[in-house]
Amino acid sequence: MIDILIGFFIATLISELFTTRLYRLYGWYAFNSLCLGFIALFIGFKVSDSAMIINGILTIIIKFLFIPFVLKSITVKFNIPRNIVPNLKIYYSTIIVPIILVFTYYLVNPILHNIAYNANYVALSISSLFLSLLLIIEHKNVAPKIIGFLSIENSLFLLAISATKGMPMLVELGIFVDVLMFIVIVNILFKYQGDY
Amino acid sequence: MVLVFLPPLFIFLFSFLNVNRRLIALLSITIVIPAIYLFFHPFVNEYFLVDKLNTFILLISSVVGVGVSLSMIDLPNRIYLSEKAIKRFYRFFGIFWLGLIISILSNNMGLFWIGLEFATLSTVYMIKVKDSIMAHKEAWRYLTIGAVAISLVLFGIILMYASAKNVLGEEAMNFTTLLENSKAINAFLFEIGFTIAISGFFIKMGFFPMNLWLADIERAGIYPVAAFFSGILESAIMLGFFRLTQIQMHINYSHLITFIYVYAIFTLFIVSFLIYRSKDFVTTFALSGIEHMVLITLFWVSGGHFAALLHLASHAFLKPPLFLSSALLEEKGKYRFKGALRGYENKAIPLLISLLLLGIISLPPSPMFFSEIYGFKSILAIVTNTQYFFLMIFTVIVILLLLSIIFYKFITIYQEALYEEKNQNRVVYKSEIMMLILFVFSLITLLLPQVFHYIQGIIQ
Repeated sequence: MIDILIGFFIATLISELFTTRLYRLYGWYAFNSLCLGFIALFIGFKVSDSAMIINGILTIIIKFLFIPFVLKSITVKFNIPRNIVPNLKIYYSTIIVPIILVFTYYLVNPILHNIAYNANYVALSISSLFLSLLLIIEHKNVAPKIIGFLSIENSLFLLAISATKGMPMLVELGIFVDVLMFIVIVNILFKYQGDY
Repeated sequence: MVLVFLPPLFIFLFSFLNVNRRLIALLSITIVIPAIYLFFHPFVNEYFLVDKLNTFILLISSVVGVGVSLSMIDLPNRIYLSEKAIKRFYRFFGIFWLGLIISILSNNMGLFWIGLEFATLSTVYMIKVKDSIMAHKEAWRYLTIGAVAISLVLFGIILMYASAKNVLGEEAMNFTTLLENSKAINAFLFEIGFTIAISGFFIKMGFFPMNLWLADIERAGIYPVAAFFSGILESAIMLGFFRLTQIQMHINYSHLITFIYVYAIFTLFIVSFLIYRSKDFVTTFALSGIEHMVLITLFWVSGGHFAALLHLASHAFLKPPLFLSSALLEEKGKYRFKGALRGYENKAIPLLISLLLLGIISLPPSPMFFSEIYGFKSILAIVTNTQYFFLMIFTVIVILLLLSIIFYKFITIYQEALYEEKNQNRVVYKSEIMMLILFVFSLITLLLPQVFHYIQGIIQ
């Protein structure tokens, strides 16, 4: 089941890269976070780690429900353009994405020998990190860049739960608070963009 | 220890009321009491660590915080800031300071990262306080690049944690535990994580290839933001660098030296020419900040811990007042060097600023003069012990040549500011004089033999 969820995690992230409409991008991000939340829940139940189960639930509440909702309302409120055409042509992206997926595996191969558990998941989480960076690079608009950063955060969360079986609870909660603060700052920046 | 968190917390809360800038400046001064108290009461637990190294950096950053609060009293008389903008500035200043105190006192890598992230995000709005299109653009840029840099740091921390989790469990997140058990760590994984985390730190400090990023942001924001960057944020990041390199030194010292030297010299090469071409005070000071961070990293990894710490403290007391004085030097938006030190009614002001301007290029009796002497001494000690003798000698010569370019530029700036063009009736506010006196007094304190002795004892 975890394998399937990780497959969906990567698939939704790739979909983010090819999307040209903003609401659809938010939707893919929400699904990406939902997959992540379920992965945390499954691994949490598997290893009987209550901290990871809480993190999974929080991921679903905050990243699947709350953040996409807030981003959508910010988009409406500040009339952000919803047509988001990437700078990178789709056919280039079609080539670059598999290259990233395959080469990341070879790039991190030496690391994988040093990871005690879930080595393949680590490779996938690192490739999803690169894909999120690609999302930031390929767009000029601010909104996709925000989703790119949030996707990086998702990839790092996946890396943390796969490579280390979760970080200490306090750290995970702190990261959630940081993500929320990120959204607050984004809101403020949009709100006062006409102040000058 | 809780007391040290109170002043920034109160600043945050007071920002929701009618802001009295003098009251906030007074409130910020109270941080010095718990900061000094922590000097004499070290302790360590799972999340926090109070030792000689971080109490020293906490005290430095506290003094900078006080200095910036003082300068804020009269800043609205120099640049237009609406009452709402000032309130929001103080709100995020509180969060920024709180975040960095958490980072400085943390023993936990995750907690260190959380504090740093808080500071990064709150800085975004502090840049935006200035009502200009440029500030708005730079705030977005900072949000994007700062977020990527901080993500790299988290990526590195996860890998370093993974490298020791099998052996140390959740304790693998602690700096002290990792240092004590450095032989038990999976070296390969730790080194990968270390390299990524340090790259994140370097991006945040404007190292190669992000040299102009920081300078542009400091130019676009209001002067106190640049002072925060150079005095508090960079000190906190440097502390993270110190802690991680202490562990890496036990794992593989030669890899550390190679990585840091190559990265640092690339950065210094680019920064020195950028300084040579810079045309305004803030950009020059921002780029010079990168140069000094490069020197601190070189001194530290070369074993010159005393030199690195003295240089860090000197930089924290020299650069923020220079950034804050730029409000005087660039009066009425004149972004030029000529005549900037002329025409003041109070003759002590150009003298104090000149001392700071010449101090930053390490002219004696600046503490930086001594830190560079000791720092290069430690670098030369490495040169004599290495098998790559000629390569290292060449490296040292290159560093000195690049530093001489920066030295020449600063002397030119000083001469242009003091001897060219005339200015008249330049007003200086009391709070600005107090700020300058505070920093000059702190610099003189650094020169005391007792302080030298104390810094030498921080890392045995």
